[in-house]
Amino acid sequence: MTAPLLEVRRLTKRFPGVLALSEVTFDLRAGEIHALCGENGAGKSTLIKLLSGIHPHGSYEGEILLDGQSARFASIREAGAAGIAVITQEFALVDELSIAENLFLGREPLRSGLIDWPAMHQRAAALLAEFGLHLDPGAPVGTLGVGQKQLLEILRALDKQSRVLVLDEPTAALPEHEVAVLLDHLRRLRARGTACIYISHKLDEVFAIADRITVLRDGKSVSTRPAKEHTVATVIRDMVGRELGDLFPRAAPHAAGPVQLQVENLSVARTAGGPAFLRDISFELRAGEVLGIGGLMGAGRTELLMHLFGAWGHRLGGTVTLGNNPCVPVSPVDAIAQGLVLASEDRRRYGLVLEESIGFNLSLSSLRQFTKAGVIAQAREEKRNQHYFDAMRIKAGHQRVVAGTLSGGGQQKVVLGKAMMTNPRVVLLDEPTRGIDVGAKVEVYELINTLTAEGRAVLLVSSELPELMGMSDRIIMLSAGRIGGVFSRADFSQEKLLAAAMSANAFS
Amino acid sequence: MKTPAALKSLALPAALIAVAVFFAVREPAFLGARNLTQLLIEFAMVGTLALGMFLIILTGNIDLSVGSGVGLIGGIAAVLVTGHAWGAGAALSAGLAVAVLLWTLMGALIVKQHIPSFIITLGGLLIFKGLFWLVIQSSTVPVSRGDEDNAYSLLTTYYLPQGAGLALAGGASLLVWALCWRARAVRQSVGLPAEALRSYLAGPVTVTVLLVALVLVCNRFRGVPLALVILGAVTALVYFLTRHTPFGRYLYAIGGNEEAARLSGIRVDRVLIGAFAFMGAMVAVTGFMTTAYSGASTTTVGELMELDAIAACVIGGTALKGGRGTVWGVLLGALIMTVLLNGMTLLAVSPEMKFIARGAVLALAVWLDVKLGRA
Repeated sequence: MTAPLLEVRRLTKRFPGVLALSEVTFDLRAGEIHALCGENGAGKSTLIKLLSGIHPHGSYEGEILLDGQSARFASIREAGAAGIAVITQEFALVDELSIAENLFLGREPLRSGLIDWPAMHQRAAALLAEFGLHLDPGAPVGTLGVGQKQLLEILRALDKQSRVLVLDEPTAALPEHEVAVLLDHLRRLRARGTACIYISHKLDEVFAIADRITVLRDGKSVSTRPAKEHTVATVIRDMVGRELGDLFPRAAPHAAGPVQLQVENLSVARTAGGPAFLRDISFELRAGEVLGIGGLMGAGRTELLMHLFGAWGHRLGGTVTLGNNPCVPVSPVDAIAQGLVLASEDRRRYGLVLEESIGFNLSLSSLRQFTKAGVIAQAREEKRNQHYFDAMRIKAGHQRVVAGTLSGGGQQKVVLGKAMMTNPRVVLLDEPTRGIDVGAKVEVYELINTLTAEGRAVLLVSSELPELMGMSDRIIMLSAGRIGGVFSRADFSQEKLLAAAMSANAFS
Repeated sequence: MKTPAALKSLALPAALIAVAVFFAVREPAFLGARNLTQLLIEFAMVGTLALGMFLIILTGNIDLSVGSGVGLIGGIAAVLVTGHAWGAGAALSAGLAVAVLLWTLMGALIVKQHIPSFIITLGGLLIFKGLFWLVIQSSTVPVSRGDEDNAYSLLTTYYLPQGAGLALAGGASLLVWALCWRARAVRQSVGLPAEALRSYLAGPVTVTVLLVALVLVCNRFRGVPLALVILGAVTALVYFLTRHTPFGRYLYAIGGNEEAARLSGIRVDRVLIGAFAFMGAMVAVTGFMTTAYSGASTTTVGELMELDAIAACVIGGTALKGGRGTVWGVLLGALIMTVLLNGMTLLAVSPEMKFIARGAVLALAVWLDVKLGRA
């Protein structure tokens, strides 16, 4: 047994109000692929951020050892220089620059102070050839597919002599055959001695490639075992650590009320004049019902919600009826006025004004309710804010606390509180539990139950099948912008849903 | 978190006092009643323009065209009065209308065509400058015919009688007291916890003390200048807009996170155009005062005032990326800029050095903005 290349000892990381990591222990050997599994919010991304210097030394407790030496990274740069490379979903590539330029970005080969273009192209070509990629080093990166970009990131990391590769959900956006290619490359790297931390929700991949598996749950390292000693069932057991039934408190469906939202043959293009991105979508949503919308990344789930909300796309055809009114919300203003509200998946970007107070954010969509003759009745507003602040159980001293200082779950509650205050008939929830801890998740689920009990209708987008199955009364799976299948509660099974999600090959 | 915030809130008054003390020591006339009154008139011009700029910067935009605009609008009104024998009231109204129209147009271009405000208003800077010189034919156009006073020229030469000044200060103070008292009563009536009496009294007491002190200082010379009353009105208006209307809230929301604002159901386009239209009105008011102050419209009126306005906002703690800033900060920033300019003139600093000092202060302010994590 080789000594660990990278070792993590009793790492603890706190965010305001949340214990993100609690005494996590982990080690990585040279020439090993070590999978990190856990639910969203289990602490995987926090751990990576500590290892890669995004959360610098001093912001956490515990120790990181590289080659047995204590490593204290103050920045990503330092971690990168020490040989740790993180490859995430958000590529650090410049689309307009060529493959060669991207590979050597920031460390271009120089000759007498000028860029040595021939040398750069030569080295790029050699790197590409080594990986069996038949690409022109002069081609702009923007022309590449997602899988090729992924490989390019890996090549760049390898050329920087990185010894530890951290791959965060590397296959989330890859079609099947490119997944196989990627895994092959990783096996070859392993043979060369590169160590790899592999994070994926897809357990079949994990079992196909990992030597060892560490499971994180609620910020703690639950188990580390050779992959051979695990089965899918034991990994899930470690990940969840509880009965699924406790997690999803979806009340028995009520007798569904009148139709609140009717969508017929909806086709939408990204921009006017473009090809249809969403095609022929039809469904109805009744009062008191939760309609789940699933699908792979890029299937059009978020786009569908954003279009219904008047914030995305150009309608090519079809009708949307809200209550009895045909509605073409041309803007979120319209949508909210008609009783439709959206809680976006990316709350930091689309949901909150982070620098402002909780109260400011809660009432932002509803100021009209408190405005008389152009003046905000501030006492009434504060009173109303307080009601939602309490109802959402936002964990902060008072509503004047700055929203950006809340935990992910706290921020999500503010986003949801803001949506609720508009008194909507139809609530569009896009990944309402992404990145929040398990306790807050259950609170969000309870809120969904409350909403439907009040007779509101909920459209729930989620990429986590257990959540979708646990909380929906019916599920629509989208596949490449079309409906791939509709399921009622009795038909829910992961296999059927996944098959529907992949019914059209999005990448062909 | 507490210490830097407290330090920050004291830093501005401290800087103001330091600068004032420096000038007072070098030139005792600085604190003389005549100079202080003049300084306050100059403050009214910079402050009015800065308060308009404040709304623009709050949204994360910028307006570089206001200096040229000040000259142009003042010039239009002057030409109407002198060249076309319009009454001062009509000429000022026409100028105001043109300004609001021009700025609404720029706002519309910025939001509808998605052109950065930096570029549009940079174009505006040049275009308005050219129009300005065309309008006044690069000459000197007085704001009144002959030696008669009119509403235009009186903007910076009229002083309230001593009693009227005191009465105005008293009235304004009473109004502030009444409004604060009412807000407190409403809070209690809807069942919100009442905050400590002290925090309620701090605002009205400060306002009263400042207003009365200001009037007493002005009364040592000729009384409260009309320009200062105009700044007072503009301040009250901007304070009201930013603190008590949805429009003001939306300015902060757009500057803080434009996408989130849009998805929260805010008509971002309308709010931005509204902010620019308001800026136009402030440009007009500043243009009238500035032109009247120099007695006539000449090619240099308003030159570089956009930089003073921006500097005032930034010095006063308005974040250049938007979403943060207060009316009081902007006023303090404007006062600091005015004191610097006035003091340097008093010390007969050469124009060359004045340019350099102005630039240095602007750069320093922006650097602080970045340094304090506000940009």
